[in-house]
Amino acid sequence: MATFSEHLRGRSDEELVRLLLRRPDLAHPSPATLASLAARATSRPSLDRALAGVDAAVLQAVEAVVALLAGSTDPAGGVRARDVVAAVGASRADAPAVRAALATATDLALLHPVGGRASDPVLRPAPGVAELLGPATAGLAAPAPHDPDPAAVPGLLAAAPAAGRAVLDALTWGPPVGVRPAAGAAAEAVTELLRAGLLARADERHVVLPRTVALALRDGRTHRAPASPPAPEDLPRRDAALVEAEHAAAAERVVRLVAGLIRLWGRTPPPVLRAGGLGVRDLRRTAVALEVTEAEAAFVVELAGVGALVRDDGEESPHHVPTTVADEWLALDLPGRWARLATWWAATPRTPSLVGTRDERGSVRPALGPDLGRPWSPRLRQAVLGLLAEAGPGAAPDAPAVREGLAWRTPRSVPPLDAVAAVLREAGWLGVLGAGALATAGRALLGDADPRPALAEGLAAALPPAVDDLLLQADLTGIVPGRPSQDLEALVDRAARVESRGGAVTVRFTPESVRDALDAGSTADDLLAELASHARGGVPQPLEYLVRDAARRHGRLRAGAASSYVRTEDPALLAGLAEDPRHADLGLVRLAPTVLAAQAPLHELLAALRAHGLAPVAETPDGQVLHAAPTLRRVAAARPRFAADDAGRGAVPPAERAAALVGVLRRAEEARAAGGSTGGAGAVVRAAAAEAAAPRADGAPTLRDRASGVAAATAAARAAGPRTGPRPSRGTADPAEALGMLREAAAGHTEVWLDVVGSRGALERRRVLPVRVDGGRVRVVDTARDAEIVVAAHRVAAVTPVDAAGTQPPDDDAAAADPRETDTA
Amino acid sequence: MTDGPLIVQSDKTLLLEVDHDQAEACRRAIAPFAELERAPEHVHTYRLTPLGLWNARAAGHDAEQVVDTLLEYSRYPVPHALLVDVAETMSRYGRLQLVAHPVHGLVLHALDAAVLAEVLRSKRTAGLVGERIDDTDVVVHASERGTLKQALLKLGWPAEDLAGYVDGEAHPIDLDTSGESDLGTDGAPRPWQLRPYQAEAADGFWHGGSGVVVLPCGAGKTLVGAAAMARSKTTTLILVTNTVSARQWRDELIRRTSLTPDEIGEYSGSRKEIRPVTIATYQVLTLKRKGVYPHLELLDARDWGLIVYDEVHLLPAPIFRMTADLQARRRLGLTATLVREDGREDEVFSLIGPKRYDAPWKDIEAQGYIAPADCVEVRLTLPERDRMLYATAEPEDKYRLAASAPGKTEVVKRLVAQHRGEPLLVIGQYIDQLEELAADIDAPVITGSTSVTERQRLFDAFRAGEISTLVVSKVANFSIDLPEASVAIQVSGSFGSRQEEAQRLGRLLRPKGDGRTAHFYAVVARDTVDQDFAAHRQRFLAEQGYAYRIVDAEDLEQATEEPA
Repeated sequence: MATFSEHLRGRSDEELVRLLLRRPDLAHPSPATLASLAARATSRPSLDRALAGVDAAVLQAVEAVVALLAGSTDPAGGVRARDVVAAVGASRADAPAVRAALATATDLALLHPVGGRASDPVLRPAPGVAELLGPATAGLAAPAPHDPDPAAVPGLLAAAPAAGRAVLDALTWGPPVGVRPAAGAAAEAVTELLRAGLLARADERHVVLPRTVALALRDGRTHRAPASPPAPEDLPRRDAALVEAEHAAAAERVVRLVAGLIRLWGRTPPPVLRAGGLGVRDLRRTAVALEVTEAEAAFVVELAGVGALVRDDGEESPHHVPTTVADEWLALDLPGRWARLATWWAATPRTPSLVGTRDERGSVRPALGPDLGRPWSPRLRQAVLGLLAEAGPGAAPDAPAVREGLAWRTPRSVPPLDAVAAVLREAGWLGVLGAGALATAGRALLGDADPRPALAEGLAAALPPAVDDLLLQADLTGIVPGRPSQDLEALVDRAARVESRGGAVTVRFTPESVRDALDAGSTADDLLAELASHARGGVPQPLEYLVRDAARRHGRLRAGAASSYVRTEDPALLAGLAEDPRHADLGLVRLAPTVLAAQAPLHELLAALRAHGLAPVAETPDGQVLHAAPTLRRVAAARPRFAADDAGRGAVPPAERAAALVGVLRRAEEARAAGGSTGGAGAVVRAAAAEAAAPRADGAPTLRDRASGVAAATAAARAAGPRTGPRPSRGTADPAEALGMLREAAAGHTEVWLDVVGSRGALERRRVLPVRVDGGRVRVVDTARDAEIVVAAHRVAAVTPVDAAGTQPPDDDAAAADPRETDTA
Repeated sequence: MTDGPLIVQSDKTLLLEVDHDQAEACRRAIAPFAELERAPEHVHTYRLTPLGLWNARAAGHDAEQVVDTLLEYSRYPVPHALLVDVAETMSRYGRLQLVAHPVHGLVLHALDAAVLAEVLRSKRTAGLVGERIDDTDVVVHASERGTLKQALLKLGWPAEDLAGYVDGEAHPIDLDTSGESDLGTDGAPRPWQLRPYQAEAADGFWHGGSGVVVLPCGAGKTLVGAAAMARSKTTTLILVTNTVSARQWRDELIRRTSLTPDEIGEYSGSRKEIRPVTIATYQVLTLKRKGVYPHLELLDARDWGLIVYDEVHLLPAPIFRMTADLQARRRLGLTATLVREDGREDEVFSLIGPKRYDAPWKDIEAQGYIAPADCVEVRLTLPERDRMLYATAEPEDKYRLAASAPGKTEVVKRLVAQHRGEPLLVIGQYIDQLEELAADIDAPVITGSTSVTERQRLFDAFRAGEISTLVVSKVANFSIDLPEASVAIQVSGSFGSRQEEAQRLGRLLRPKGDGRTAHFYAVVARDTVDQDFAAHRQRFLAEQGYAYRIVDAEDLEQATEEPA
């Protein structure tokens, strides 16, 4: 019977590469030896990750193996594959799928073969898997000494009262523990069942269905039915043209909204909250200005934040201000802008749907606030988009259907429904989806390559052809019967108010909108000529009148900027002042016979006038308002954090990296097999511990001294390991490897020598039978003293398997290094 | 992408390109479920509203037809969410039905028990329903039939009223198409026929049970009422806006039906007659004395078989409350527009009934039943002194100042001179301005204080051609038949009321004997609130396809020669 690490050693190079590719956490950082690889592969976090990534069928297969083994008479043995097939209730047709799931689990090193034929292997779960799956795997209670004899169960069941049957039925497929009813017929039935031994008492209030009874009720199966993926043909389908059209419309819209946000905040930047982020009222104001809901506004704001299009300007009273990156973004064409938005969204851990929810302290999470990052967010987006892509073109599943699909793919980590709904909603807003189905362009987000070129191309292909026609009507409305060309879009943006969008754009000309166009520098004739050049039917008379009327009124009031002014009752005093060349640098302008405006600040003006022999006095600023043109603010930007999307993703393809790593591991293995055995660890540790404990002689040791003593001793022991050259082939001082060995020993019920740094800092060696390795603690049975002890994992200095003879491993004191050497290490 | 004439916007507006080959077919196809919002020259805008969709359901269209129509004519792919929404909205109508139960009387029956449970949980229905019969039926107090329908509409589950109507007291009424009752000036009978759309409207109403017929001013709504009465052949209560309008209904009924003057009663401020056909004014019904409405008994004075509401869009709020109690009687609403300035379209829907017939203004004009019109806005630049006065006036006085600018008199004089000999109306809001104008152009003036007999005398004289020019205040807005007025000059309006503008234009749109074009002038003071209000009022007509030309008062001479 092979242990897990032996199995791993026995794998072919291809199989190891496959393992490293499918469980990438094993390769980062690179393990030094296959033993440490085995240790890492059986550590709780790594197993947790591996199980989180498997689909429901593989999980079911692993559960079945664990459940069957738990009830087996030989817990150190294995389970035959065909028993697993039967246990999950697979029909002949389902059997290949179950065997495939077992093979996948073996590939992932969640199971390993301990015998049997290749076609029907005997499998064992990797050490640690059973603990991870929990006590009631597959809804079966752990075996207990008082469980009724399997042979006797059918008889007991036949004799069970009818009322009790319902209780048993409720517990049959797990969970096996139920709350005991306080009174009534059910309580009596439970009492009856307890008496018959068909239920066991778990504690005062709970009962448990014994394993043997459950298995009898289940016909010996561990699962009701083999897990199968949800059928994609049940999903609603959308027409491809519709998907592309809605994708293009949404993409255009989101780009317009982000551009609108930049324009809005460029003029009136909202303040940054003291704790960071955008205030609720400012979000609402932004939503109103963009004409969207607050949720969508939060999404747009977050999107702009993720791309560093806006950021905190760092002033004394900080504001959210568009950055120079925003200008670069605005300079791109529509597909280019959208491709960036979509890439940012896919990669960011920030989760806009959390905006407006409350944190643990009950305060609202603001948009752009510090508390929106969720590491699972990009993974969930990938998972959801991946699922949509796999469902086939035009498939438009709703959130529950997507969640069902995810529950099949990753049953150990099913995202909450509202998170899935939020991803779908955001993807819809962004236009990655059209009419709820993944658009062609959206597929680009799933690859490893830089998605931006494909995104932009996809959108460009989906956009309807631009229209250059504007239908002008006498009720002062205009209609662009399609997607306006860039030219036309700019014109209507400038001179009209958009009333509705969709397949077409309808606009209304108002005195205000025309005035805006005039403010932007057009003249009435320019504007009319421009309108006429786009208008199929000419410019209607009321519109022409409106433009001319607006132009007539435009500019009848003049406003300008001045820093100071001079005024007097007597025009003669000002005569010649403005024209005097000596005052050229004051920038004097005659506004009226009795008023001069100056560009120079007041103190300079006063000084100059006084030098001229005049006697001016300063005035208090009586509500004098200075009109300044709106300034668009910008600050220098930090680049978006995931600059990786510019650098390309990972220079070396993962498959090559993994293959290279396997080569390294093999060489380490060979070197280890070839090397001699000079385990100096123990000696080093002893010396280090002695040194660390030395201060005790001078006075009472502080807690800190002792703690540092342990740390120093353990570290020294570990550091000594690799440095003192080849070690005994079977023992280890590498902490991860040591834990792996302990786990393996616990699973295989074998004894090991355990070197532990004791409470005084001295190294103690014990012969133990490990029971459980969990949560930083090792529970072992000291066989010599027949006592169970718990050791903190950081105190474990070395682990050595007990060889057949049961002798102590050699402890070569001669090889002990000078303690001072450890200091220099 | 097809090449259809229709563009569906995501905000549920439909844009119909009128110059397209299929435009006419498309218009016909979408008319039952989409409300025409505006109809300028190139692109007409329709809107999908829940009321519109429910109107379509009431008329027997289903969601599939609506969706198919949109898909068939749409140029671009129709937003999926919109189609889902249409189907969802339409499926809400009729899940609840008001039916007459042989044992329990009036019963609210649900085709879907969950819907019934939902509406019964709402506070709005509390007290309106009685005991629950079973999962899908609940007794309704007969007196709360209307209120319940209103409440259900507000909840978004409009009920289909299948409970039927009381027959009412029978009374023979027939259309008299022989003309025996309408002798011409030479004493010979003048036979006539219902116009096709009038007959269709009356049919549409009768088959629907209750509801609203929408026809433009001048299209002969009175005759639709008369035709409905002839179908009903029962005692009828007609509710109109004012006494003058009541008299005209009465005259028209005598002329067009077998009814004799003795069978028609007037129930107004001056007379309180209750006859088999009674015409009452809104004013008298809503008169409140010491907290009670003393004339409400009229509604129960006879066992009316039909109730006709003239100018539904003006129906005052108290009448709605009273109408809520009249749900067992057939109700016909007549109006030129379902647009209500107060936005109570939904009450019209739930209390009077869904729209049963609708014909766009321009269509009827094209058929020659209403006169074409030329609309001109004359902009008057205020003199310096008036502008200063206006600029410094209190905000509440500004409109009055601008609207009654003295310069307008000169403009009106010039327009009157231009149209000398044609029947011409000058319409305004402010009495002193009108009186001043009347003195200036030497024409009689009719205001609210003019006695009814005097008004009738002046109108008759105007009709007979004895007077060619009349100055009228807003009393002329509604239901006054001035068949041959072909020029109207509006000097001031009541702020921005859109339906007022429609009514005023309506005055002109009755077909002219010689097929002349009608002229409608609005004189507006430039750069004032007058201009802003005018813009708002005109928007409605511009949206109906009556484009305004704008001319400066100084350019008046040449501009008015243009259309000739």
